[in-house]
Amino acid sequence: MKTVERENDDRLQIKAAQNEPVRFAELYEQNFHRVYAFIARRVGSRDHAQDLTAEVFHQALASIGSFRWQGAPFISWLYGIAANVLAAHWQRLGRNPAQLEEAWDEGGSEEIERRAILAELVESLLPDQRMVIARRFIEQLSIREVAIELGRSEGAIKQLQLRALENLREKMGRKI
Amino acid sequence: MNRQANADELNVEIESLLASGEIDIQGKWHSLALIAADLLELPNPEFKSRLEAELLEECPVSTTQEASFEQVTSAAAFAGILPIFGANDFRIFPADHRSFVVSFISHTLLIVLIASGIWVGRRPMLKSIATTPELTYLAIGGGGGSGDHSSVPATKGTPPKMSDQQLAPATIVVRRSDPMLPVQPTVVGPPDLKLPQSDRIGDLISSNVVVPSNGSGTGGGAGSGSGTGLGGGTGLGYGPGSDIGVGGGAFTMGRGITAPRAIYDPEPEYSDEARRVKHQGVVILSLVVDQQGRARDIHVARSLGMGLDEKALEAVKMWKFSPGMKDGIPVAVRVNIEVSFRLY
Repeated sequence: MKTVERENDDRLQIKAAQNEPVRFAELYEQNFHRVYAFIARRVGSRDHAQDLTAEVFHQALASIGSFRWQGAPFISWLYGIAANVLAAHWQRLGRNPAQLEEAWDEGGSEEIERRAILAELVESLLPDQRMVIARRFIEQLSIREVAIELGRSEGAIKQLQLRALENLREKMGRKI
Repeated sequence: MNRQANADELNVEIESLLASGEIDIQGKWHSLALIAADLLELPNPEFKSRLEAELLEECPVSTTQEASFEQVTSAAAFAGILPIFGANDFRIFPADHRSFVVSFISHTLLIVLIASGIWVGRRPMLKSIATTPELTYLAIGGGGGSGDHSSVPATKGTPPKMSDQQLAPATIVVRRSDPMLPVQPTVVGPPDLKLPQSDRIGDLISSNVVVPSNGSGTGGGAGSGSGTGLGGGTGLGYGPGSDIGVGGGAFTMGRGITAPRAIYDPEPEYSDEARRVKHQGVVILSLVVDQQGRARDIHVARSLGMGLDEKALEAVKMWKFSPGMKDGIPVAVRVNIEVSFRLY
């Protein structure tokens, strides 16, 4: 039942985006983290993953008008664009696109889903917890640096870090 | 164990993860460390919103391009209505005729202003600032030079008086000794400037203290440069610089010197590094716009960092100016250019 609802949602949102491109924002919001996780799993650096993700969504927006619904989820179409973008990226780096196919076969859809959910959950954290997560794990600042930036003690930052990770674990447990 | 001790323990585990990328799978904090490991793979939080903004900016353009001819004509078929862009069809709303009139008049005025050159639109990215009007060309200095192809340097001495105009070149050896109208030699510069004076005109820094000579330059003054001034530079002043005044540099603003104006000013790019962290601000570049309108001797007067200084330098090097003028003659002028980096 949920699958049917999902399909209907996808179809309506695609139709809306085709009629009014600003509505593409909804599709973007729903699929951003999956596309990013799909790409990040296959490229080494965050910078590359971000650049390629941007390319995927630019291409998707440019060709949303020609998208024809064939029953597959919208994310499959985005993964298709991502695959082409990755193949071009690998070619630019002088790597064999066949390696990409091997990486494809390894699956990893669970990992992609887990990371996408985690990224969405981070956005739902309280602002101070979200800030600590971003500074500690994405920018990889030290506890001292985060404490100085936020004007808190190092002990307080460590506690925020613990609380944020516990919250994420609890929410992940409910989602997966 | 209290909360703070737990937080400390977990942090030790995380520090190990950050340092080695490994997790102790037997450890007490294993499940949290696994989440932490996944967090390391997430994108920058700003990236998602920035990309969304970029995509939204593209939206109206793509729709306009995709609008079909039938859609355009069907919209045009309605009297008293205006189309708007941004949908699959031109959405049709009744238009207020007064709005149309106001819009028409304001656009017409804008076009007239631009065409007449009264108002020149500046891109928000860049703003050039005029140098402080109170400064005179003395502050940085001009220069001068001349000579008459002599094989020895100009004789050591003191430069002649400064004057707004030069009626006779700063010559040390006067070839014609019985002029019909004797005129004191001068170099062009601020008349109130006091330089060492003596009864022997010459170059203060010359090594030739014996042989009377106008120096190896050209133009009729004295020194190794060119022009009718004195020294190693070019022009009517004194020193190794150019044009008038004293010193080794170009003019600054004021005293009848008009500002150079940018006529070709491509925008600088944003550095990836600065874009990632949304670093914004202003770089101030100091440069000389020469008589040909080229930017030279560029240096950063106020740095912004994160690669933006270099981007500002790259862009301004390509700029083309109409040069500053003194009495209708193009002159080299030192100006400050403010390059503003903003993310919208």
